[in-house]
Amino acid sequence: MRARLVPYLFLSPAMLMLTAFGILPLFVAAFVSFTNMNLAGLGNWSRIRFIGTTNYTELFSDEEFWQSLGNTAFFALIGVPGVIVLSLAVALMLNRGSGRFHRALRAFYFVPAITAIVAIALVWGYLYNTQFGLLNYLLSLIDVPPVQWLSDPLMAKFSVILVAVWRGTGLNIIIFLAALQAVPKEYLEAAEIDGANEWQRTIRVTVPLLKFAVLFVTITTIIAWLQFFDEPFVLTHGGPLGATTSVSLFLYNQGFAASQFGYASAGSVVLFLIIAVITALQLRSRRTNVDY
Amino acid sequence: MLTTERRLLESTPLEDSKPIPRSNRRRRVPRSSRTLNILISVALVLGAFATAFPFFWMVTSALKTRSEALAYPPKLLPETITFDHIAELFTQLDFTKYLGNTVAVVLISFVGLLLMAMAGYALAKFDFKGKKVMFFIVLVTMMVPVQVTMIPTYLILNGMKLTNTLLGIALPTLVSGFSIFLFRQFMLTIPTDMLEAARLDGAGEIRIFAQIVLPLAKPILAVQAILTFIAGWNSFLWPLIIANDQNLYTLSVGLALLNDQIATDPSLQMAASSVMVVPILVIFVIFQRHIVQGFSLSGLK
Amino acid sequence: MSRIKTMTVAAIAAATLAVGASGCASSPATSSGSSANPVSGPVTFWVMGDSATKFQDLVKPFTDETGIKVNAVAIPWDSIDQKFTTAVASGNGPDLLQIGISKLRNFADSGSLAPLQDKVGDYGSLAAENFIDGMAGDDTKVNGDTLSVPWVSDTRVLFYRSDILNANGITNPPATWDDLRSDAKKLTARGEGQFGYYVPQWDSALPVAMTWGQGGSVVNNDGKIDFNTPEFQKAVDLYTGLYGDKSVPTDSNFDQTQGFVSGATPMVVSGPYLAKAINDAAPELKGKWSATTLPAGETNTSLLAGSHIGMMANSAHQDSALKLLDYLSKPATQLEWFKINSELPAVKAALSDSSLSADPLNAVYAKQLENAKVLPLVPNWDGGVGKDMLKALNSIALTGSDRNSALEQLYKSTSDVSTK
Repeated sequence: MRARLVPYLFLSPAMLMLTAFGILPLFVAAFVSFTNMNLAGLGNWSRIRFIGTTNYTELFSDEEFWQSLGNTAFFALIGVPGVIVLSLAVALMLNRGSGRFHRALRAFYFVPAITAIVAIALVWGYLYNTQFGLLNYLLSLIDVPPVQWLSDPLMAKFSVILVAVWRGTGLNIIIFLAALQAVPKEYLEAAEIDGANEWQRTIRVTVPLLKFAVLFVTITTIIAWLQFFDEPFVLTHGGPLGATTSVSLFLYNQGFAASQFGYASAGSVVLFLIIAVITALQLRSRRTNVDY
Repeated sequence: MLTTERRLLESTPLEDSKPIPRSNRRRRVPRSSRTLNILISVALVLGAFATAFPFFWMVTSALKTRSEALAYPPKLLPETITFDHIAELFTQLDFTKYLGNTVAVVLISFVGLLLMAMAGYALAKFDFKGKKVMFFIVLVTMMVPVQVTMIPTYLILNGMKLTNTLLGIALPTLVSGFSIFLFRQFMLTIPTDMLEAARLDGAGEIRIFAQIVLPLAKPILAVQAILTFIAGWNSFLWPLIIANDQNLYTLSVGLALLNDQIATDPSLQMAASSVMVVPILVIFVIFQRHIVQGFSLSGLK
Repeated sequence: MSRIKTMTVAAIAAATLAVGASGCASSPATSSGSSANPVSGPVTFWVMGDSATKFQDLVKPFTDETGIKVNAVAIPWDSIDQKFTTAVASGNGPDLLQIGISKLRNFADSGSLAPLQDKVGDYGSLAAENFIDGMAGDDTKVNGDTLSVPWVSDTRVLFYRSDILNANGITNPPATWDDLRSDAKKLTARGEGQFGYYVPQWDSALPVAMTWGQGGSVVNNDGKIDFNTPEFQKAVDLYTGLYGDKSVPTDSNFDQTQGFVSGATPMVVSGPYLAKAINDAAPELKGKWSATTLPAGETNTSLLAGSHIGMMANSAHQDSALKLLDYLSKPATQLEWFKINSELPAVKAALSDSSLSADPLNAVYAKQLENAKVLPLVPNWDGGVGKDMLKALNSIALTGSDRNSALEQLYKSTSDVSTK
């Protein structure tokens, strides 16, 4: 077998599919974003008209689009650090023991990550229900007035973020746990001998050694939160009054409910570019850690 | 396995030529005060309870009668336990069929595992023209919003005559950039000398991959296996769109069907949701030892 | 950098080729590869919700009699847009599909539904007069074409807790909106957490019905949406007034079933689905609640909702599909479906059948359906005009926005939307 061809042979099946189902659609979307494609156009391509950058100008003057951008930024700014810090903290705590007790606890923390979103919507929709939900019932037992978890525009944002954070920590806890297992104990022992207490050992020795895990988790979490869709879709449908509509949800509404595919494609391209730029910035700031 | 291989398997990577002395592996964390231990354990338990509580609620609701489920003030545990809802899923609705389809989709997805391992290996252990571009493409696919891919992907599958087939359902998500990335990180730590030695001995590339790389990659394969299982098990979008025939629906689609326009039966939905979660939980519990070990050897230090 | 350029160009070329190729491969002349004689089916029918098995039972006599097989596929309500889109894109769809009236305009605009006006004459049951007034014929044509026939109907009536009303000195349910407002105030006075009525914040039909009740319309003579009318103003007064009276809950995720069952909201305008939900959740309440036709302004026109059935233009089994449509529109079939799936008939003869109207609730629905209209058939009512209208109303009622500016905004954003 020709030595030079080998890597290509190993790579090609996966790359072929990635290109077909990941890259190609992106180019199609870019192309479509310059047209007025809608449901009628989809059924009969002769009905499609090339309209230049009209979709983009309309997009940037669409108040709902800007609202969804703002919402997404809000979600990401709160959610991403929330997920990372929480996952790291729990992993650090879970790492203090390796017996059955701690292993059992891991399963509990992982459960949200493996539950189907439809089920999550049902359960949390019930917990959050203002009149009859469990959370407000518990609050009423200690004389706290009911909270409008999903009906108040500001509160709804936090409620949705909470569910997403709850869901997102599971996998990241496991990742951090593994990374922690790889921290050489000798460094920690040396620090202890030098007189550092547990907190100092954790902050000064362990956490810095997790740099790459933190970078990996940060990148993937940011990408995920910029594409935030599931939780607002099932819990609030983007409401109340558009308060929890993320960019992805906005695109979904435009693309499918309103069948404005050209318009939605323009939005998708914009979203992709935002994600790409942010990811590129992160990678560049930590260039040493991503080997090529 | 050679002793060197075993030591490498059990060592921590990144600097792949420095195995950690055995005495340092898995030593217990240095003792701190007992009160701190107890406090942290309590915090962990409370956190675990809060995290798993919605799941617990889901399962108890599945076992409650419909009027109890709607009762206010809400009761935590059912007064009368009923398995009617769960039974109804399998007898009156088509959940057995959905279950079969879901298992089939998951199995097909496992083929993707192999392809992704191959790709990760190529990106990690070979130097070739276009490597940077390929890796860039892998990263980019992680950033493409799902809504973008739906219609073009459907058109492609339609052109390949794969609509309304199980293969068509599994294909769009067969490989993912995230997993290839992860495989690559792990395989960076496989010592190249070992591979070179095997080549000098005259072993073919496929043999090297199958008999050296894959066994060393067992931990990360276990991790990806779990992730693939989860994704395949919960898959909703593609089964919905690609299947023209209800016979090809998966569990997630069956669950969505229960969401009647306004008049839903929440107990039935909770039952379906519980049915979906329990198998994954079982798999996770069985495999979790491998998972943690797997990630620790994936160069994620 | 040039390497990336070449790859980009290659990718775009490949993309275009692939999409083009798939487009060619799916030329819409034939639908799913059935080697059987095209005239005799099988007819694929998309039914909404988990009703495929029930539908198969319904059409068994049809298959027995004609030999035409029917293949029912259940589609989740929330996913019909996606399924229809991919059907249109690929040319691979069903022969017949259930279309909620709110989606009728959207689906019609796709150009993928077959015009039926020339065909319905061949089939007795499909004549427009057979169906509920306002549901067939000119009322649901789009751009002059009949693109669907009615299938099941739905409406909104006033549900009330007779026990609670009686206990508070209200012997009869309110017959006018003014009566409803004063009754609601009385019931709210029962105490903390108690209300008189419930306004669902997602219900775009209610304000429109209120407008109809004042003798008005939200569509002007040119077929365009027009909210700038005195009747709509009165509806706004009523809608926001209920909130001003504090007679209705302000939570957007208030559950109307639980509210009704617990007595927190003893009156609500809702559909037959609520009756089913109440019976399932609280069978012990039997006899303590009932329903009546909508309160009136000048009249009590209510919502006419439900589903139609459309035929895809590229269906290869059009004759068989039409035969099935004819079968489904027979009064006997409609009554049978009501028995199996509790969806009200769209055929007048079935609606007035004694087996149906024996149940007093059904009689109420039937009576209301004599005075009901469909929502304007504009593109994307739910995501466009309807949403804007609710946004304006809810912002006035819930967040205290200035009434005039909210309404001005509404007029501006909806003035160009047309039913034509």
